[in-house]
Amino acid sequence: MTQLHLFYVFAALVTFCSVMVVGSRNPVTSAVFLVFDLFLLAGIYAMMEAHFVAAIQVLVYAGAIVVLFVFVIMLLNLEQESHGKVRISVPDIVMMGITGLSFVIIAFLVARVPSMATVGEMTPEAIAAAGGNTYVVGMVLFTKYLWPFELASILILLAMVASIVIAKKDKAAKPGRRRTVNANQ
Amino acid sequence: MGLDLQQIQAFLDNEFAVQLIATAIKFAVVFAICIQVPPIMIWVERRAPALMQRRKGPNRVGFFKLRLWGLLQSAADAVKLILKEEIVPRGANKIFFQIAPIFGVIPALLIACAIPYGNDFQLFGYNIPLSIVNVDVGFLFILAVSSLGIYGITIAGWASNNKYSLLGSLRASAQMISYEIPLGMSLIPIVLIYGTLDLNQIVIGQSNLWNWGIITSPISFMIFFVCMFAETNRAPFDLAESEAELVAGFHTEYGSAKFALIFLTEYVVMFILSCLASTVFFGGWQIPFVPHDTLMQLIGGLHIPVLPYLLDLVGWGVPFLSLSLQEMGVHSLIASLIGVAVLFIKAGFFMWMYVWVRWTLPRFRYDQLMSLGWKFMLPVGLANIFVTAIIVAILNFK
Repeated sequence: MTQLHLFYVFAALVTFCSVMVVGSRNPVTSAVFLVFDLFLLAGIYAMMEAHFVAAIQVLVYAGAIVVLFVFVIMLLNLEQESHGKVRISVPDIVMMGITGLSFVIIAFLVARVPSMATVGEMTPEAIAAAGGNTYVVGMVLFTKYLWPFELASILILLAMVASIVIAKKDKAAKPGRRRTVNANQ
Repeated sequence: MGLDLQQIQAFLDNEFAVQLIATAIKFAVVFAICIQVPPIMIWVERRAPALMQRRKGPNRVGFFKLRLWGLLQSAADAVKLILKEEIVPRGANKIFFQIAPIFGVIPALLIACAIPYGNDFQLFGYNIPLSIVNVDVGFLFILAVSSLGIYGITIAGWASNNKYSLLGSLRASAQMISYEIPLGMSLIPIVLIYGTLDLNQIVIGQSNLWNWGIITSPISFMIFFVCMFAETNRAPFDLAESEAELVAGFHTEYGSAKFALIFLTEYVVMFILSCLASTVFFGGWQIPFVPHDTLMQLIGGLHIPVLPYLLDLVGWGVPFLSLSLQEMGVHSLIASLIGVAVLFIKAGFFMWMYVWVRWTLPRFRYDQLMSLGWKFMLPVGLANIFVTAIIVAILNFK
């Protein structure tokens, strides 16, 4: 089992799970396959010795974001939609044809051109010599990309504040609800 | 009966094969330990409250006069759970109902791979680490994989098609998400102080009692300690399965082997968090006041005649007779194994704490739990990171 074989195994599984995310009828099944998908992608990152990125991928996407997806799906009870019959119309067939054709073209082109990728500076050995994954990512984030990083965090903070404000407004519109918390005291 | 020395030598020259065998042995041992945790803990969980409440607890199961203080009760329970009929309630989502316990158990056993159970040891000229997944981001690995444990609970509750199960799973997962954040934050000061995400390096950094995590960062330990209970949904935070309101929470509909798996998950996570607490805050495999090098020297100087005698029986003992452990090259292995025992003693203390707290403190109310998590733990955790970062920066300033 070389690394290449392992990559093929992971890639095939990722593709299969991605298809299942889109193709399954039950929304919870889709969400579960999305988790598998993200987890397997983390496996590919880990295989490239990018352990930090792999761990963050699992922590943020599989461990936090999709959990919220699952919550929403369960609470909205989308079960009904999965019972409806799928009707395939003419535009659907046209779109499927275009997608399939482009896939074949891309596969053909990839097979023709052996390898366009070249090995960059950041090989696993170079990263290990520079002090490990986390150290390298941290140094780059806090020196070269400091301003984009800070701007992104401010943007996320704004989004957080905005969502809290929106959620609060909804609650304030219904007076009388507030009392329930203090009723036992 | 002599073994072919040449073949053995040829095998030992292949590093990949040696590491593969070592990893397989480590996997088997860790898995066996994790499987053994629930029966023993269930026994403790029954006998400890009996001790506290001045009654006897279960002590009858056994053969003839052999009762082992009721320890066989757990074995009887395990047999009962495995042999019971598998029932899937009507209206449940059959596939998800079946696989939800597996979703829970896989992350729990995966985190067990990242704990450094002992120091790396040298055998046959190879450096063999005593954690299975030896990555330089051990901390993040544990946090990431443990956050996947929520799926087992949510899917189990949803697939049961029972309102108590769903409510219980919602409570459990909301609680786990809320307390995961302060749990992660309580570990950041440790990373700042010891300057690494590698758990074994953190343990090596705690060589002295004054370097232990609980001394260098006591507030972190307090937050971690509370989050340990909340993350595992244990009393006083066991709102997810408060009997009076929710029957048994997310596993109301589960029985037989699937219920056993859910139990296994809960106790394995408790065990791993106990190991993590001892690793991060209580020096892991380090023995207080005895540095690892001193321990290795002490053991290396020992002469144990049994081992050379056994090797003599196999047929290649003659050059080994009257050698010390160091000359035989096993002293670092034995020192590491002593470290494993030390870690398990420390983890066992935390397991006892789990039981002790459960039978001492009453349950919180759900809004109290949430406001404790978000309005107290989170700000204190953030302030702790801030202050620790400033102190570390001042101490490292040159």
